[in-house]
Amino acid sequence: MAKYPQIKIINNEKYFFRFDMDLRIQHIILAATVVILVLSGMPLKFSDAFWSPYLYALFGGITMAPTVHKVTGAIMLLLFAYHIFWIFKVIYLDHYLPMKREGTYTIGRFAMRVLKLPMVPNLKDLKDIIDLMKYLFYYTNVRPDGDEYTWKEKFDYWAPFWGMFIIGASGLIIWNKELFTQIIPGEFINFCLIAHSDEALLAGLFLFIWHWYNVHFSTSVFPMGTVFLTGYLSEELMCEEHYEHYVKVMREEGYEKEILPPHGGGHAPSCSDHAPKSSQRQSSPENVSGTESSEQSVKEGGAAV
Amino acid sequence: MKKLLTKLYILAFMALVVYFGVIIWNLTFAHIIHEYHERHAANMEHSEESLVQKEKVAKSFEQVILNSETRTKQYLGYRVLEQQYIEGHFHHIGFDVGPDRHSYCSSCHGDMPHDSVTKDLRAFLNMHAFFIGCQTCHSRPEGEMATGVYKWYARETGEIIPSPVNDAPPGTYKAKIIPFVMEKGSIVRIDSQAKRDFVEQYRLNEKELTEGQKSKSKNIIHNIVSKKPVICEECHSKEKPLLPLADLGYSERRVDSITSTEVVGMIKNYTKFYMPKMLNPGVSHPVDPAVDPVEPVLPGQLTPSVPEVESLPPAVGTEG
Amino acid sequence: MLSNFLRGPHWSFRALLVAFCLMPGWVLAADMGNCLLCHKYPGLSRIDEGGNMKLMFVNEDIFNTSVHSKVKCEGCHADITKIPHEPAKPVDCLAVCHIIEPTSEQKFSHKSVKTFMDESVHSKVDKEGNLKKFNEDMPTCKDCHDNPLFRPLAFVKKVRPGIADDAMGRCRVCHEKEDFIFRFYNHITTRLHKSRSPLNVAQACGKCHDDKELVKRHGLTVMAGSSYQETFHGKAANLLDEAIPDCLDCHVVKGKSVHQMYGNDDPRSSTHPDNRGAICNSIDCHPGASVQFANYQVHPMFDMDKSPVVYWFTTFFYVLTGGTLLPLMFILFFDLLRRLFPNASFTRRR
Repeated sequence: MAKYPQIKIINNEKYFFRFDMDLRIQHIILAATVVILVLSGMPLKFSDAFWSPYLYALFGGITMAPTVHKVTGAIMLLLFAYHIFWIFKVIYLDHYLPMKREGTYTIGRFAMRVLKLPMVPNLKDLKDIIDLMKYLFYYTNVRPDGDEYTWKEKFDYWAPFWGMFIIGASGLIIWNKELFTQIIPGEFINFCLIAHSDEALLAGLFLFIWHWYNVHFSTSVFPMGTVFLTGYLSEELMCEEHYEHYVKVMREEGYEKEILPPHGGGHAPSCSDHAPKSSQRQSSPENVSGTESSEQSVKEGGAAV
Repeated sequence: MKKLLTKLYILAFMALVVYFGVIIWNLTFAHIIHEYHERHAANMEHSEESLVQKEKVAKSFEQVILNSETRTKQYLGYRVLEQQYIEGHFHHIGFDVGPDRHSYCSSCHGDMPHDSVTKDLRAFLNMHAFFIGCQTCHSRPEGEMATGVYKWYARETGEIIPSPVNDAPPGTYKAKIIPFVMEKGSIVRIDSQAKRDFVEQYRLNEKELTEGQKSKSKNIIHNIVSKKPVICEECHSKEKPLLPLADLGYSERRVDSITSTEVVGMIKNYTKFYMPKMLNPGVSHPVDPAVDPVEPVLPGQLTPSVPEVESLPPAVGTEG
Repeated sequence: MLSNFLRGPHWSFRALLVAFCLMPGWVLAADMGNCLLCHKYPGLSRIDEGGNMKLMFVNEDIFNTSVHSKVKCEGCHADITKIPHEPAKPVDCLAVCHIIEPTSEQKFSHKSVKTFMDESVHSKVDKEGNLKKFNEDMPTCKDCHDNPLFRPLAFVKKVRPGIADDAMGRCRVCHEKEDFIFRFYNHITTRLHKSRSPLNVAQACGKCHDDKELVKRHGLTVMAGSSYQETFHGKAANLLDEAIPDCLDCHVVKGKSVHQMYGNDDPRSSTHPDNRGAICNSIDCHPGASVQFANYQVHPMFDMDKSPVVYWFTTFFYVLTGGTLLPLMFILFFDLLRRLFPNASFTRRR
């Protein structure tokens, strides 16, 4: 933890710790492989499209592109294997061993502790989604105040996580169809093809529209979010997306007096000169109470990273 | 300014999101709905026992015309041969000449106007119509009008262009010959803008015109059409061919070929059993509608005076 | 046209090709009767009584790169004996033509094709010799073939499409006639691989086998062309893979002619359920694959009745994809809207 201070102050601006180097490298490898896999796979799925021959030619056409696709896929699967290993490592070092040391270890308690990790979806996410709907339909002017990881981020994480199983497994089967059909019937290859390509389409569209919008193209972060490179998030964005966590970290780090009011009240950051102050004031009590209620769970969960 | 740009950006992104939404719909649920409808349509037809007979349904313009021309691509490895697909056509075409977008004649009569009227010659006449403007043969500027000037115009744009002949394969010019006439002391092309506008206006207003107006405009449009079209021998002749072939860019060799015995001899063959009637416009031949159901003869056929010759005694042909 | 043809990739081979085409002396070899005097004009055409376009144009350059380039016009259009001629009769492809088959020194003919065809699934008559129902749907020569064009290969250093100059140079050491060298080279190298690209083959079959009405009339179970395109094979063919199996690779018994194609229920057929395994695990395709590998559906139809398992499996993923992405698009859209009008509100809570 000492290596990564929760708050870094550069030029009088606060930056909040999000991801360590290990995760950032994992993410960049994942992003690169996904882009290559999508670009070298989609021309095959949409082989009638006018653009597909040109895009495919970029990867060496039908003679080379499948090899590029397979090798990249293999790299991605290795990364996934490492990631699984990393998860177990973190849980073992940060949660299992401390519990053992404290002598509070039972399987039930351990499971509860794992389930309360900040990356695990919980009821707060559901509440946030409903709150977001209210906000988007102008029912309220209060943006939901996200925890350390918002529901969007959890979606961004778990959707590819599930996709990795489906796409990875089906890809491996298609790759080694002669071997696998010694056991499974040939019709399974049909299913694998369907699963592989359709799930890939889902993942590709999901990442390139939804994920990229949220982290790069939204007016709050446009033109590019930098947290995936630096690992630190600016105070403004921290307030907008992770207000609950922001308040907690500010308190822990002794900046209680400097806590900014939450974004809300129709306060879109891009048009900040417009924000009516009354709505900000009006929304803060709600947020504070929300923070307190879930603070306990946050403390119990602790920082996974 | 920045605010405006931000708003525009948001609007553009919203459009993009809607676009993606449509794509996603088309890639997912649209397939399911399509399959459902297809299956139900198939089941409906099954129950009507349509398996026994082929259905003969009246076909729409869209089916018969718009969807009738498909293109094929043949992948030969060292080249891709793309061409129009004509059902049952064995030989390859290899390139497109493209329709004449300029001629106001072909807007009604089409690019292959010679059909039932001159049965044995029609293909030849159509062949010539690919690079010779209608007015070249179907109007004879006389007296003061006559200039003897002919030039090439591009089929696509209608502009007068330098001769495309050079060494291009015969008939592949994407250009047509158009006569020039003397009007008010200057030499102008016969299909003047005024004439083109007149036809354009006629086509636009056709539905509102009275009987008299309609006939009158047709008459005016066709008034440059001469009774006797230019016949083959007027060009394919060593002596004073109608077209100034050399001026039109034909090389000496090509001029020789066009006016040679080869071509001329063949025309003579046709003349023997065909031309006498062609030059005798008095004898008319009613068109049998049963023979020709899809090609109603247009009232303003370019060669209205030419009677149809239904079939020729084969004996005459053999002699020729 | 020529200049267009000369531009683009591999222009040098094209230039060479054109040079050969324009080479005097043999260019009119097939055109003894000077038919091209008229038929070289692309406008030689008419609309026939049925309203169909008839084009009498013969593209000489392309004809000279076709397998029939040495056959005289009259060799096929035998009814034409004089110029000008009456409307030509349909060509009888089975006619004995003037080409001599060099090994047997017999006159050449496509007659054997008819015997093959009569036995095949595509014949107009059934086993008892009675005319089949809808026999007019059965293909005749021109339904599958237009004038077949050479697809030469160059085996110099590696295989690439086109003519190898150095190989031609080797030919010229002993052989003098350019047209012989050109044609012989083309014939041999074309015959050493597929005479049509897999995509063109699939399109040729698809002309009938993707025709919904025809498929229904003949009680066929699948739309063969479009379902082929759903598989990896079809998609690779779309992207012009030359090595990918097309219709003929599976439906024709190895070593037989494509005209000897049998129905799936015929034990002689390569696609008979008993024989299928052997197609897939052939040495050129998926060596070592088990017999059940051939259970793979090469014609998967997204159709609830015809292949329910594929249907439900695909539907699951369609619903998953659409069901995930569309709500997200929805949220995204309103998120943008909220950013566009941050202060607009109809139920502002105070």
